[in-house]
Amino acid sequence: MMLLRVPLDGLQWLGGLAGFTLRWLRVASRTRPPLARTLEEAYRIGVQSLPVLLTISVFVGTNLTLQGYNAFVPLGGQRLVGMFVALAGVRELAPLIAAAMVASKAGTEMASQIAVMRTREQIDALEVMAVNPYGHLVTPRLYGILVVMPALSLISVFTTVASSWAVATWQLGLNSATFLEFARTSTRMSDLMTGEVKALVFAVIIALVSCYCGFESEKGPAGVGKATNRAVVVSCVMCVTFNYLVSQALYG
Amino acid sequence: MLDTLAALGRFGRFVAQVAWRAATPPWNHGDLFRHIWTVTVRCAGPVAAVTFPFGMVIGLQGLAIFDLFGAQRLLPSLISVAVLRELSPGLASLLVAAQAGSSYAAELGSMRIKEELDATEIMAVDSLRWHVAPRVAALVVACPMLNTLGNAAGLFGGFVMAVPIQGENAGVYWANLWTFVNVGDLVGGLVKTALFGAIIGLVACYHGFYATGGAAGVGRAVNDTVVRATLTFFGANYLLTSAMFG
Amino acid sequence: MDDEAPVRLVDVRKRFGDLVVLDGVSFDIPRGATTAIIGPSGTGKSVLLKHIVGLIQPDAGQVVVFGTDMAHAGERSVYAVRKRLGMLFQDGALFDSLSAGENIEFPLRQHHPELSAAERRDRVDEVLQMVELPGLYDRPTPALSGGQRKRVGLARAIVTRPELVLFDEPNSGLDPMTSDAIDALIGHLKETLGVTFVVITHDIVGTINVADHIAMLYQGKLVAWGTRDEVTRADHPIVRRFLGRNLVLPEPGSDDPARLPKIG
Repeated sequence: MMLLRVPLDGLQWLGGLAGFTLRWLRVASRTRPPLARTLEEAYRIGVQSLPVLLTISVFVGTNLTLQGYNAFVPLGGQRLVGMFVALAGVRELAPLIAAAMVASKAGTEMASQIAVMRTREQIDALEVMAVNPYGHLVTPRLYGILVVMPALSLISVFTTVASSWAVATWQLGLNSATFLEFARTSTRMSDLMTGEVKALVFAVIIALVSCYCGFESEKGPAGVGKATNRAVVVSCVMCVTFNYLVSQALYG
Repeated sequence: MLDTLAALGRFGRFVAQVAWRAATPPWNHGDLFRHIWTVTVRCAGPVAAVTFPFGMVIGLQGLAIFDLFGAQRLLPSLISVAVLRELSPGLASLLVAAQAGSSYAAELGSMRIKEELDATEIMAVDSLRWHVAPRVAALVVACPMLNTLGNAAGLFGGFVMAVPIQGENAGVYWANLWTFVNVGDLVGGLVKTALFGAIIGLVACYHGFYATGGAAGVGRAVNDTVVRATLTFFGANYLLTSAMFG
Repeated sequence: MDDEAPVRLVDVRKRFGDLVVLDGVSFDIPRGATTAIIGPSGTGKSVLLKHIVGLIQPDAGQVVVFGTDMAHAGERSVYAVRKRLGMLFQDGALFDSLSAGENIEFPLRQHHPELSAAERRDRVDEVLQMVELPGLYDRPTPALSGGQRKRVGLARAIVTRPELVLFDEPNSGLDPMTSDAIDALIGHLKETLGVTFVVITHDIVGTINVADHIAMLYQGKLVAWGTRDEVTRADHPIVRRFLGRNLVLPEPGSDDPARLPKIG
């Protein structure tokens, strides 16, 4: 029974998300983007997420290098570390880290803000004041995250590679020029662009999932907590899944 | 700066208090097993759903490298090292932080706001012992179990990428995988995730336990939990990796 | 057209799962008067109110507000109706990120682009005066007391000069003195604004003094409807029981001692 219920609930939830997305699209297609509030959100999301993103990117870069090094040493392929970091970091990890951090910092905040508004009847108040809550609450958040996400992803790419280089040359004693040479030749501009496109899609996923979790939240403190919780888990799972699909299509 | 230090001090005291209660009887067995069960059930899906595609992606990018040398058969070495040592522990802990950590912060925060924790104390029940210690202990147990699941899902993801999709030889893949899988990696991953579980549980319960400011405060507690727990265990991870495998 | 009731409820039915919340409620809310919808907790009063503003759609029946069927009209017409009404939510439903004054200004910003910033500010100051909170414009919302939240919510509800104002439990969660002050405020606004008021309450003591009409809901059904005098004199056992417990003061000039509500 339970085994059957989980996927069914999941499907129902996805259906709700799709309905939510369509309703938002209908509103968004009719109204002009609120420029000032979008920039405000973009700035806030960027500033909030940047410190965490930088820290995590540094650690991912360092660990990627340590493990890659360990995997290649038996083959005498230490030189390949640069290539491995560039491929795994630029193509896959950096955009995903950016997504995971924005989801856990900005996404959770979106979900909890909107869930609090739901609890306190503020969303009903918007409706009663003839203000469309989708337009008012979702649009600036979604556009805001769309604006900053590519930049954050790019920052993550450079931080990951830079910290990897630092570990490779200082901690592992690899040759700096070789590392950079392998990193440079193994990636192309198109890899960076793919990362950027991924980042844009992650942004849409995070914003819609987080806002939807807030909107459909139960009332009360427990409901707010649950909505926030669900927002980050679902965003992460959907981003990773989507990342695989894109990588498979592009590099498979 | 002083505020940060004061908060760190308070967190340190909280850790000591919880550790003492987790180490000494009486224990709240009932809640402990219930929490272990709930965490495992609620995180198993997300952990598998994330590590599996990650294993595939590592396989995909790893093959790109090994192809250059015609050494595709060495792919399992990369996959097993990457999955067992880093990906599965890291991702499993990330999802436990996101799923279980944030729900602990939410539960305890909500109990704080609705004065349930005060009520517990008034009834002369130690709320740290009764509500917090079993949650932290549950994560210490559940995290390694979920890591094991993540190991399996990640290795299987790598296999699916290498054999059915890229057409490598299945027998060669498994044979190489078993030579490269190393007991030290497995144990290292378990130790790491048990520690991460403790970090996540403590950070989450701390934020929930000291939540203030109504429903919005609970939201803030949840938000802080995910980010801070992630930062802490990624930092711990780097130190551990350097120490164990560096 | 002007004589038509602003709100007409026709056999409104609503159930949540197995729970029947509204079981065929019909009445017209008259223009320019104050209608109190009373009843014990959990009898569907708030649900009825949410039907009127279109937040909940009925399973059957019609909710017609300003001639628009709220259940079947498109989003545009529903919003057009909502621009003509104001609502005070139970806890104010103020936006925490805005100051008290900015909260009141919010509907003006959204729907009245023709007003300049100074004109908007004047309108806000005017309603702040009306709710007896002059000079509170810059107070952060989280710093407001319960009574102040209600007043600011009320100011926000009337700042657009609506034709219909709805109150969801204006007295809930307030101490008796603040509660009386809110009732007095509602009575005063009724005199000055001359618009249609709908008040939902289970605390009828104060509200009955400002109500012209009373509708009583019990277990999803309308058990009494009429002018204040008609309902307070009604023989209906449930009405008597509810009023008896709540209406401590006998009506002045009542000549029949047998009909006086019991005290206590």
